[in-house]
Amino acid sequence: MTLLTAQGMTGGYGGMDILKGVELAVDAGEIVVIVGPNGAGKSTAMKAIFGLVHLREGNVTFDGQEITNAQPERLVRAGLGYVPQERNIFPNLSVHENLEMGAYTRRDDIAAALERVYTLFPPLVEKRKQAAGELSGGQRQMVAFGRALMTDPKVLMLDEPTAGLSPLFMDEIFDRIIAVNETGVGILMVEQNARQALEIADRGYVLATGENRYIDTGPNLLADREVVESFLGGGGGNVGNGNGDANAPEGSGDD
Amino acid sequence: MIEFFNDYILSALILGSIYALGAIGISMIYAILRFAHFAHGDLLTLGAYFAFELVDRFRAHPVISIPIAMVTVAIVAVGIDYAFYRPFRKSRPIIMVIASFGIALMLRSTFQLLWGTDDQYYWSIQPPLESLEPFLVGAKHLYIGGAVIVLISATHYLLAYTRTGKAMRAMSDDPDLARVTGIPTERIVIWTWIVGASLAAAAGVLLGMDTRIKFDMGWNLLLPMFAAAILGGLGRPYGAIAGGMVIGGLEELSTLVIPGDYKSAVAFGVMVLVLIFRPQGIFKGRVL
Repeated sequence: MTLLTAQGMTGGYGGMDILKGVELAVDAGEIVVIVGPNGAGKSTAMKAIFGLVHLREGNVTFDGQEITNAQPERLVRAGLGYVPQERNIFPNLSVHENLEMGAYTRRDDIAAALERVYTLFPPLVEKRKQAAGELSGGQRQMVAFGRALMTDPKVLMLDEPTAGLSPLFMDEIFDRIIAVNETGVGILMVEQNARQALEIADRGYVLATGENRYIDTGPNLLADREVVESFLGGGGGNVGNGNGDANAPEGSGDD
Repeated sequence: MIEFFNDYILSALILGSIYALGAIGISMIYAILRFAHFAHGDLLTLGAYFAFELVDRFRAHPVISIPIAMVTVAIVAVGIDYAFYRPFRKSRPIIMVIASFGIALMLRSTFQLLWGTDDQYYWSIQPPLESLEPFLVGAKHLYIGGAVIVLISATHYLLAYTRTGKAMRAMSDDPDLARVTGIPTERIVIWTWIVGASLAAAAGVLLGMDTRIKFDMGWNLLLPMFAAAILGGLGRPYGAIAGGMVIGGLEELSTLVIPGDYKSAVAFGVMVLVLIFRPQGIFKGRVL
């Protein structure tokens, strides 16, 4: 069952098309990874799904509803969560308040959702009263994930979740993403650390210059010489540190 | 010591509280709507005149007129936002600043038309309470102090414990993330106006109780209130309260060393120093 489908997404900022007919799909409970060089439109594609970049053409459906260019508030209610790459926590709110804000669209009891987040991210329990801005990079990322999980989303979109983290935290974050996925949440993520991300991906999309280049299972993409050489920084090269051309960490550079 | 209290501490506390109440709105509006609201001082004046009408026509006690003035000014502010600021929401912030400057001029001219340019008073001069001697504390000071405590406590309760208040803080932390989180940002904007404008109205009535009511009373407070908001850190309501108390205190104490006429230069001086050396303010707010 395909939960999230985006077809022919075309659009960008101020008249310039960054996306030129991108398609993406996430099935229930899947991990889907978007990789590609700088400026490929990876983050933009994700923002477009979430209604933050205007789509001139194409359409996005989620859980049977048409959501093209919809307001974020409606998407959150529908069960789509989004964690931006940067500035993804409320630094002056406590960890607990960040999670409460994540549940803002809910009017029912949020105790179970809180319990789930604290179970998935145990380090947050003792920091619950602390301002989220005072936490370490990895813990902040957990707050950001937790905030987005408070609505019990069916699909969680993560924009470069390991950007700027030390390798130690990267592994931890990947483990958490798998743990979140195992609770039944579909994951759509953009990741600079392409190799590691594709290893856990049910499906990977390789984007370049705003278009789909390759769509295949994660292992198949990793086995494809051409994909590896053109987009994953060459055959034997270690791309784990994000130093390869295709994997350089990006700020807003993607746009 | 008693003399020091009578001459400086009492007036510093009163002035600081009034600045604090006004600065909360300035600080939150800056962080959430991303513009310096130049008409905020005139919302103070508007509150003071509404209360004056109640006192003058219906013989209402000024303290009783505070909540009524707060509600009325909040409604006016939400209306002004809807008619004049909302159309510019997606424009550059400077457009909104200039729009608010225009609103400030319009409000002030309206005050002069309706209430003239003379000083008005809620009550005749009151002697200090004999029971509190040797402290020269009048009944008005007790009313003002009581009102400030109630208002600040209510504001704290709202911001720390209610869903809407937390969403206001979240939005002043990061409006874009608030939107992505699913917080209905336009509704929070309206709440920001309600809270900011009603506190400004209360500050206006309190200032009127302490001194007099005049068409430019709020406008003249704009600079120290901005200094307080910047000192406390823009977007940090608790910082604005602290900043207001500090600026009020420094202004009053400055008369120990410089002539009283230069009092308002103190706020300006503090603001310039903060912008140069710690632009994020004491509580790490937004940088102007």
